[in-house]
Amino acid sequence: MKITRIAGAALAVAMLFNGLGAWAQTVRILDGQSTTDAGIEKIIDAAVAAKYPGIKLDWEIVGWGTELNAKVQQYVQSGLPDIIVGKGQDLATYSSKKLLSPITGKPYLNNVLPDAVKSATFDGKTYGVEYNALYQGVYYNKKIFKDNGIAVPKTQAELAAVIKKLNSLGITPFATHFLDTWSIGNITMQFAINDIFNKDPSWAEKFRAGKISYATSPEAKAIYSYNKLIYDNTWKDETFSLAQTQADARLVQGKAAMKVSGSWSIQNFLDVDPSFDFGVFPFPNQAGNAKLIFEPNITFMKSATTKYSDAVDKVFDAITSNKEAAKAIYDLTTSYTNPSQKDIDALAAKGQLVDANSGNLQLVWGGFQDENAKDIAAWLQGSETLDQALKAADSRRGVSKP
Amino acid sequence: MPKPSFQTVRTAQFLTLIVPGLLLFTVGLILPMFLGLYYSFTSWDGYTKDFPFIGFDNFVRIVQDPHTLDAWGFTIEFTLWNTIIQNVLALFFAVILDTGLKAKTFYRTVLFLPCLVAPIVAGFVWQHMYIDVLPGFGSLLGTKINFGLFGKADTVLGGLLIVNNWQFIGYWMLIYLAALQSIPAELYESAVVDGAGSWVQFVKITLPMLAPAFTICIVGITAGSLRVYDLLVSATGGGPGRASTSIIFHIYNTALNAQQYGYGSALSVSLIVVLLIIALVQLGYLKKKEIQL
Amino acid sequence: MNRFQPNKKRRQLSHLVRRAFLQLFMLVVSAAFLLPLYTVINFSLKTKKELYLDNPLALPHAWFFDNYSSALDRLHVGTTFLNTFLYTSVSVFFLALISGAAAWAIARNRGRFFRFTYVYFLLGILIPFQALFLPIYIVGNALHLTNTFYGIILMYVATGLSFSIFLMTGFMTQVPVELEEAAQIDGCSIYRTYFSIVLPLLKPAMATLVILQAFAIWNDYLLASLFVSSSSLKTLNVLFQQLFSTTSSNYSTAMAGVMISVVPISILFLSLQKYFIKGLSAGAVKG
Repeated sequence: MKITRIAGAALAVAMLFNGLGAWAQTVRILDGQSTTDAGIEKIIDAAVAAKYPGIKLDWEIVGWGTELNAKVQQYVQSGLPDIIVGKGQDLATYSSKKLLSPITGKPYLNNVLPDAVKSATFDGKTYGVEYNALYQGVYYNKKIFKDNGIAVPKTQAELAAVIKKLNSLGITPFATHFLDTWSIGNITMQFAINDIFNKDPSWAEKFRAGKISYATSPEAKAIYSYNKLIYDNTWKDETFSLAQTQADARLVQGKAAMKVSGSWSIQNFLDVDPSFDFGVFPFPNQAGNAKLIFEPNITFMKSATTKYSDAVDKVFDAITSNKEAAKAIYDLTTSYTNPSQKDIDALAAKGQLVDANSGNLQLVWGGFQDENAKDIAAWLQGSETLDQALKAADSRRGVSKP
Repeated sequence: MPKPSFQTVRTAQFLTLIVPGLLLFTVGLILPMFLGLYYSFTSWDGYTKDFPFIGFDNFVRIVQDPHTLDAWGFTIEFTLWNTIIQNVLALFFAVILDTGLKAKTFYRTVLFLPCLVAPIVAGFVWQHMYIDVLPGFGSLLGTKINFGLFGKADTVLGGLLIVNNWQFIGYWMLIYLAALQSIPAELYESAVVDGAGSWVQFVKITLPMLAPAFTICIVGITAGSLRVYDLLVSATGGGPGRASTSIIFHIYNTALNAQQYGYGSALSVSLIVVLLIIALVQLGYLKKKEIQL
Repeated sequence: MNRFQPNKKRRQLSHLVRRAFLQLFMLVVSAAFLLPLYTVINFSLKTKKELYLDNPLALPHAWFFDNYSSALDRLHVGTTFLNTFLYTSVSVFFLALISGAAAWAIARNRGRFFRFTYVYFLLGILIPFQALFLPIYIVGNALHLTNTFYGIILMYVATGLSFSIFLMTGFMTQVPVELEEAAQIDGCSIYRTYFSIVLPLLKPAMATLVILQAFAIWNDYLLASLFVSSSSLKTLNVLFQQLFSTTSSNYSTAMAGVMISVVPISILFLSLQKYFIKGLSAGAVKG
């Protein structure tokens, strides 16, 4: 009958459309990974496949520190990928360059912690999904501290006392791996967050306007000098040829007591000894009120030029709603259940946490922070004076804006 | 119209054999060269679509920028030392292997094997040699030598020279070996008859006959050393600080990490000019020497 | 007669001592040269804990082949290997094809244009592509050649042409012109002459070219890191550098990956050793 014919045709057309929708869409994803996130691709692929089997992710994985920026630049010319995965600070940079598409008010943002949504929001528009956070501070060997009656230092004076005691015991106070220049850049920013940006959030703007300079700022000199404090109390002869894994292993073995680092070291600690007992405290600042730094880490962003906006939303939905994926990624990247969590919870309860973005959004990494770190390295090695290193930072004023 | 001559047709056909190569070469190398020249007069950052013209500012900056001068300094030092050490050692081992030593093929293979490895891999392996293996070896022997050559600005060049020579001595040695073996034995025999000792033989007969091999090796080692980049990426990352940043590493850093494509292009142009000058000078000098000898 | 004997014996003895000394010396040198290789093999068979805690020279307690299987499936060394193999073989094929033809055309023509072309190609030897990597990258990007398999192949061919043409032109003297002329009198076209007469005679030259260019491309890092960095397209060296920097804690797996890539290229070389050495020596002797 005519009606059944029409119904049949309509059904066929509906099935066709459904079928078309079910054809695999390939979404390009550029992921700037750090040492800790290697392997999240598999977890995310599984999460997406479980909820939206028609979507396939084509991954391009690069090193965050050295390559992500360069790749994004390249793709600005030849076509941005659909999803960019970086750190929280990249969100500010890329959104200001109009490379991202806002995802304000999307339903899947309800799965994300409100604080995380807030830190990904600029000018009322949300630009990314922050997946987890890293903590940065001084990781310490709890056994050494306990066995020797050492208390966690809160001021520079207390820190000096702890260093003196450790030296007298023949234990190297700080584990370092300055072979990785990025580690110098990282700890310097940690110092800056607690000595500069907590007091004056617009310090960087004043710097760029020429009202402040590294050469004359006592705070800048202080944070550079902390590097020297650490260098003088670490394995000086070896640190510039020691890799991260060796430094982390030595902390575990008790050859050193403290390491200014971040959650990325935890995986290494537990690889060497799964029962290693460690904690974390903020590096003491001049005022004695330093806070533990947390840094929004794996951040998913949608590019402004993507043709698969819906597919990207689906991907974000899949990863934020999948509890197993979340746990798996936590286990992989931050080793969620780890001894330092006790210290972190204690500090969080007292409101002693500060967002790393307070610093990272002020001074860009590539071209400024990393170049300053090289000058600090040269100064520590004796090929530059402190003054030259500070002046070099000033000379990069023009390129310091993220 | 008269029919095109056989010669013309032939020449035209020969031309078709050249055209593909010509096209690819022009688009792939020559076109970028001129584009690079153009960008070097701008302050392009690689992101945006505008190319602000700034004249010769970039070039002035090159001469004033201490980092650029340091990068050149490192590259030239690396090249000079490499050229001397690799040549001398390659010749040294070639002479030893040429004396009819037993197991010559084994030694030849062992010395040659390292050049099969990509420089980027060699850098990483040697980083661990200096950090782990050699200190472990040293502790077995009971010495306290600090093997961390990549860890200090004064020793990083030495450390890198060791890696580079380990990689390529075998390669140049083969060239010297082939050249040595092509020297007719009669020359030596008549020298012995004349009462010449082995050292005199070496200087008066061997060295002059090696002249073409010298040219190849010196030009080859120089060219390769000036371009060093892969090795540095994995071995030292340009560090400690900037102590082992070569000129190409510096260009990569400036353009792609610090987003200054204009300046990076200017650096590339200056590099090309220097390379051309060095190549022409070398070829001219060495060819003259060859003819003399 | 007797007077000279002791001198002869002394000379023979000092000769023996010298040879023994040389052997010993070369053995020590060989051991030193092989130490890094030993390190790579050793590390590739160790567990993470052994890597961090044991003496680096010590042998692993048990041969931990997990690193190899891990490299193959978790790190996709297999796919990356195939990529590298594809780019290398296709690039070398086109290089041989194009440079052989161009070199022959140049060698057989005295005209000004051909002379100019030869020098034009030689420019590429004086100006290595590494010095031009930035503009090459910019051009490649603008032409959308990045992250495509044909883009990287085009780049390898374009940058390898200068040396290849130089090499092949040098070898053209080995092809007797009389044979070609005879073929032409018989009515063969240029193309037919090239493929049936010239090419077979160029086998040793081609072998040398193939080996030299295959090495250069297989071991390249700079161009590959700029042009093919996506997971599905990257080459072994790009993968290794990512492993060395992003998973620096997992370098035993990286070492396993290195072994997987080094072994085939070594086998290729060892089997074609003859041609390689002949090619090198031809250059050395002729200048």
